[in-house]
Amino acid sequence: MADGGNNITLTIDGREITVPKGTTVLEAAKKMGIEIPTFCWHPKLKPVGACRICYVEIEKMPKLQVSCATECMPGMVVHTDTEKVKQGRKAILEFILINHPLDCPTCDKGGECDLQDNTFAHGIDDSRFDFNKYRFIKDRKSTFDDVRLGPEIIRNQNRCILCYKCVRANKEIFGEYDLGVFQRGNLTEIDAAPGQQVDSLYSGNLPEICPVGALTNTDWRYKVRVWKAQQVKSICGYCADGCNLTLWKRRDKIFRSSSRRNDEIDEGWICDIGRYGYQIANAENRLTTPLIKKGNKQVTSTWDEAIGLIARKFKEIKDKKGGVCIGGMISPTLDLASLYAFSKYFRTVLHSNNVDFRNDYKMLAEKYGDTFGKMASLEFKIADIEKSDLILVIGSNLIKEHPIVNLRVRKTVTKFGASLYTLNPFATKSGDISTDEIIFNAGTLEALINGICVSLISQKLNASDVDVSNFGSMANPNTVSSASKITGISEERINALAMALGKAKNITLIVGEYIKASPLRELLSIALNNLTIIAGINKKGQIGFLYKSANSKGAEKLGVIPYPSPNLIGKMKEIWKYYPDSNGLAADRMIRAAKKEEMDAMFVIGANPIWAYPDGQFAKDGIEKLDFLVVADLFESETTEKADVVLPLSSWAEYAGDFINLEGRLQHFSAAIKPQNGSLPAFDIIGRITVEMDKPIFESVEQLNNEIKLLLAVLPEKAAQSLKLGEVKYSEEKISPDFSIPLFVTDDLHHYGHHTKEAKSLAAFGSEPYAEISPAMAEKLQLENTEMLRIESEVGKIILPVRISEILDNNVVVISRNFATTPVNILQMRKKRIDRVKLSKVED
Amino acid sequence: MILTPESVAKIKEKMGKYPHHKSAILPAITIAYWQVGHLNEEIYKEISKIINIPIVEIAEAATFYTMFPKEPVGKYLIQVCHNISCALLGADSLIEYLENKLGIKKGETTSDNLFTLISVECLGSCASAPMMQINDKYYENLTREKVDKILEDMKKQA
Repeated sequence: MADGGNNITLTIDGREITVPKGTTVLEAAKKMGIEIPTFCWHPKLKPVGACRICYVEIEKMPKLQVSCATECMPGMVVHTDTEKVKQGRKAILEFILINHPLDCPTCDKGGECDLQDNTFAHGIDDSRFDFNKYRFIKDRKSTFDDVRLGPEIIRNQNRCILCYKCVRANKEIFGEYDLGVFQRGNLTEIDAAPGQQVDSLYSGNLPEICPVGALTNTDWRYKVRVWKAQQVKSICGYCADGCNLTLWKRRDKIFRSSSRRNDEIDEGWICDIGRYGYQIANAENRLTTPLIKKGNKQVTSTWDEAIGLIARKFKEIKDKKGGVCIGGMISPTLDLASLYAFSKYFRTVLHSNNVDFRNDYKMLAEKYGDTFGKMASLEFKIADIEKSDLILVIGSNLIKEHPIVNLRVRKTVTKFGASLYTLNPFATKSGDISTDEIIFNAGTLEALINGICVSLISQKLNASDVDVSNFGSMANPNTVSSASKITGISEERINALAMALGKAKNITLIVGEYIKASPLRELLSIALNNLTIIAGINKKGQIGFLYKSANSKGAEKLGVIPYPSPNLIGKMKEIWKYYPDSNGLAADRMIRAAKKEEMDAMFVIGANPIWAYPDGQFAKDGIEKLDFLVVADLFESETTEKADVVLPLSSWAEYAGDFINLEGRLQHFSAAIKPQNGSLPAFDIIGRITVEMDKPIFESVEQLNNEIKLLLAVLPEKAAQSLKLGEVKYSEEKISPDFSIPLFVTDDLHHYGHHTKEAKSLAAFGSEPYAEISPAMAEKLQLENTEMLRIESEVGKIILPVRISEILDNNVVVISRNFATTPVNILQMRKKRIDRVKLSKVED
Repeated sequence: MILTPESVAKIKEKMGKYPHHKSAILPAITIAYWQVGHLNEEIYKEISKIINIPIVEIAEAATFYTMFPKEPVGKYLIQVCHNISCALLGADSLIEYLENKLGIKKGETTSDNLFTLISVECLGSCASAPMMQINDKYYENLTREKVDKILEDMKKQA
């Protein structure tokens, strides 16, 4: 019976169970291990009771009830297995099968189909409906009545049982409105919204949750029978969210990846980059053999020859000029073992601290102990976002940077009613659920944050235990009105945000690439640190300076940066019995040193700095001046073109390893397939080089893993307690009137880094370069979609087809870097806090 | 814009009556239908912009209700009930009569754009079967003579 009002006791199949109020009969039964068939029910969606297969009998209720939508009541007596229930389920199945084509032999869902399974368990093999089945035919050329709804989604309406799971998930979870239910009765169909296609970042989840074969991915269709594929536990190797994946393989080839639900992280949803990104492993144009530059040409070679040459050259340079003349850049999408082996190789064999994994940020820190590092080391948990009643996203295009964190934010806002404030220099997808979407003048974020801090103080909403009496002298601007003038955000909105922050009980602060990529990273971090202290976010909530790539956090924790923490250096010394005493150079310093001919050689693994470094000309000039460049990658790239030795690298699906996601969660992934096309994993390449140099740094991967464990156990400094207010003075940026439009270079919605364009399915979403501008800007420039736009900065010029954005509404240009024939970074300058350009129409 | 400023104003007025704009979808569709006489994607798009609800939700509601024609129809939309009571009292032959008289098949529009003939599910007037609805008016207890007269009157008015 009712117990304090919050727990309810009921009886199911003769056994008593106590569940929290609000639990459905289906959930209660599941808890007890009682199986009830479902189609339209999904653990993360609101129940609708559309399919009615989950019938149960409840005493005192005259008819069968759908257990998915019936709340448990005190004293309820439920039967899930009576004759009446069985008859009811049979009738529902007979009803669902009236028009279902039963084309299982040619249906991709066969073997993992809920309709097959439930008919097998509860159905009958005969039907009383012996008339012709209704058949949807839109395209008579197609044998199976398939209609393409999007680049990767095929619909077969005949198989659809109208559970609406796809449409509900699309709206409820993803906030996408490109799929709907149209018509009614037996004409009801699932279709793309008028004039649109189903091409959101989450579209791949729709076939995955489809209980039948009505929605299928082109990726997986007609390739392998599901029972003939082996499942391998993997982790996504792209962004830092760390979604859990299952890779489905057969005969050393991967055929699909699907979500391996982890409620702490992804809740069973993955983005399309994670879903189709595995295809790079089986891509056709992988590098297949090492290449060595002879004269002006790179010619094919053998591993032995390439490793021999690298070992000889690096030893020569180290002996002659010292290890400080060798630099190393490694991609943070590599596993811990590779990152660690890289750092150990550079430090103990080459005696150089020049290692970095951040090859796409401007002007990185030159020593340990900056505020940015402190803020970034604070604890952040994806699942804890749900505890917040206010989420503040600063400088992050969240859906692009962290698709799954984005879903958790959406859930917290739309399901639990939290308020969301976004502060960005341009509008983002999160705007549709934001309480206030604050779009500040690019380059004025520190002024805006000062304004919020001042407002908190003047409204007496600041954390009570912080002395803010001096803040006025530490901040410029130090009034809300001047902050308002600088940033273009009205005083009312700044005050309202401050008020919301002050009143919120639990705050999640998410900080994105805008801050991390900025040369003013440190100043912005101090500003955010001040906000954290004054609003008390460190005491009521969490702060996420979110790491970008699958293993960025791992690279940071293992010290694959020129200046690791003293604690970490101590541990390395202890393990290695050596640590170089030279000063290390960060990625951008290495390029500068190369440009000044102070660096002779560089070893780049998995990274593409000429394409990624936010000053293309600078990166190219620097790297071209190197005497000896070694690049390991999966594909040819702008950087491999310049290399003296090119090595074919394995993708993460081809070896086992570990990633640390943005929460600091260590996750193991298994090898799905063997290294493809004669490639090698990075740790193996490094191992071979060290053996060739007679200085082996590890005997086995286990040894590497044991050493990694020791390093990971090193505790970071307790940053949270040592947060102190700092000085933040905004200085006005000089803007040339000729080049006044802010330029933002980002990844395309469906791409990540320089590899994914080789994944066929992702290329299907987009593989052509474009520049995105607002409709107003397009009108001003008299440009229509796909017409040519000239984009000029002080240092470069490119011409791209224009895309008129549905989201952007201010004067900025956003360019996706992933498929530019000319790298977009030639427009960027490393010292500029905001890259600025001028735009003009290209007349033919 | 297909929708006139008057229609837009009416839709906006309806929006104010509901706590959530989504509730204004049906009134908005109806207003558009009264103005245009049918609905299409262009109209969904306009409504979507006015009430700030994704176009898919407008289209879902509009296609669910078969009472809104999705293609242009004649000035008089003749909807003959073909459900059981009317069928028993001769709806089928009535439809055939109308087809012959107007020179069109069910689902078609006369060349002078005056009449469109369709048959529909029960209109809830079984006691006065057979019956039909022309635009928003019911015509009941129909006989061939009655139908002749109704059509004559309409032609005169047009």
